[in-house]
Amino acid sequence: MPYYAKSEDWLHQSALLLQARPTTTRITTRYHLKPARRVRKARARKQTDDTTSQPPSQDQQQQAQEQQIPDKPPRGHLVLKTFDPASGVTLKYKTSKAAEVSRLVQMLGTLGRRMAGVPDLPAPSIVTLAAEEGVGAGAGAVEGGDGEAGGVGMSRSASGVGTPTPGGSGAGAGQQAAAAGGGGGGGGKGKKKKGKR
Amino acid sequence: MGVLTHDEFFARLADIFTGPKTKGHGAIFLTQKRLTYGQDQPQQQQQPPSSSPDQPSPDQPPPPAGSFPDLAPPTQPYPILIRATNGKGKTARDRKVKLSTVVQPDEIEAFFARYAEVCKSGMAALKPRDRTKRKAKAKKKKAGGA
Repeated sequence: MPYYAKSEDWLHQSALLLQARPTTTRITTRYHLKPARRVRKARARKQTDDTTSQPPSQDQQQQAQEQQIPDKPPRGHLVLKTFDPASGVTLKYKTSKAAEVSRLVQMLGTLGRRMAGVPDLPAPSIVTLAAEEGVGAGAGAVEGGDGEAGGVGMSRSASGVGTPTPGGSGAGAGQQAAAAGGGGGGGGKGKKKKGKR
Repeated sequence: MGVLTHDEFFARLADIFTGPKTKGHGAIFLTQKRLTYGQDQPQQQQQPPSSSPDQPSPDQPPPPAGSFPDLAPPTQPYPILIRATNGKGKTARDRKVKLSTVVQPDEIEAFFARYAEVCKSGMAALKPRDRTKRKAKAKKKKAGGA
């Protein structure tokens, strides 16, 4: 009863199973929450709380920060399972990443088409979805691209300055400017993220 | 619980998703399978046992429709049955919620698009995308460039 490391593997194997047993195979998606507990840490903290009765020090502040950790919301997990009762084959995939959900449901859709016996759409459906999911990353890339463009402009101006001195020094100036441009690009990315939040 | 329409199904599915969210634990099961019951197509016809092997080998063409009726391309596509429960068993039978809906073949695209939306909003306890690494990288780059 294997868990697949990649959702693509799970999709592929499930598609094969569905091809072999189209009427009996079922796909179950299980979403469950587990309370995020850290029992050992909690116990240790309790003991220190009982023993220490000093005015608030750095240690206690740290403890207070640690105390907030177990309060964090429970973590969800998502398990996809393809099961065929006729042959007993079970294929599983497990994840806890929110970014994967829409891609996985898309996979359920493609497998659903196979279940229904509808001919597959050409592959790009998944590709487009991956592109959609990468919108955040794409925005970052665009931002980085802007930074690079700025860097290029700067390096051009630097090379213009450097033209009177032919040879290695001019090239060095250009390299420096390029490095500065790269830094600018990075800064731009950081700014973008701050703006999002 | 009879079969629900898509709108009703999604509305109640969203309700189910709030259960574990508020309590901090619990599970939701979503199942999909081909709906063959009550369809007009001939299903498991009793055929004399054929001598062909159980699994068709990949390079051979699929066996004739007579030996494995469900492997033959269906004369018309089947609907899909979608089920959802909140995973309550025996001890909490009275709080068990079971939903089901049928998706016709031509509705699959639209249904799964909405399904993805509902799932995404319902599965809020999953890990959000981790941006700390990229942030640290950007910082490093910034420090290096300046």
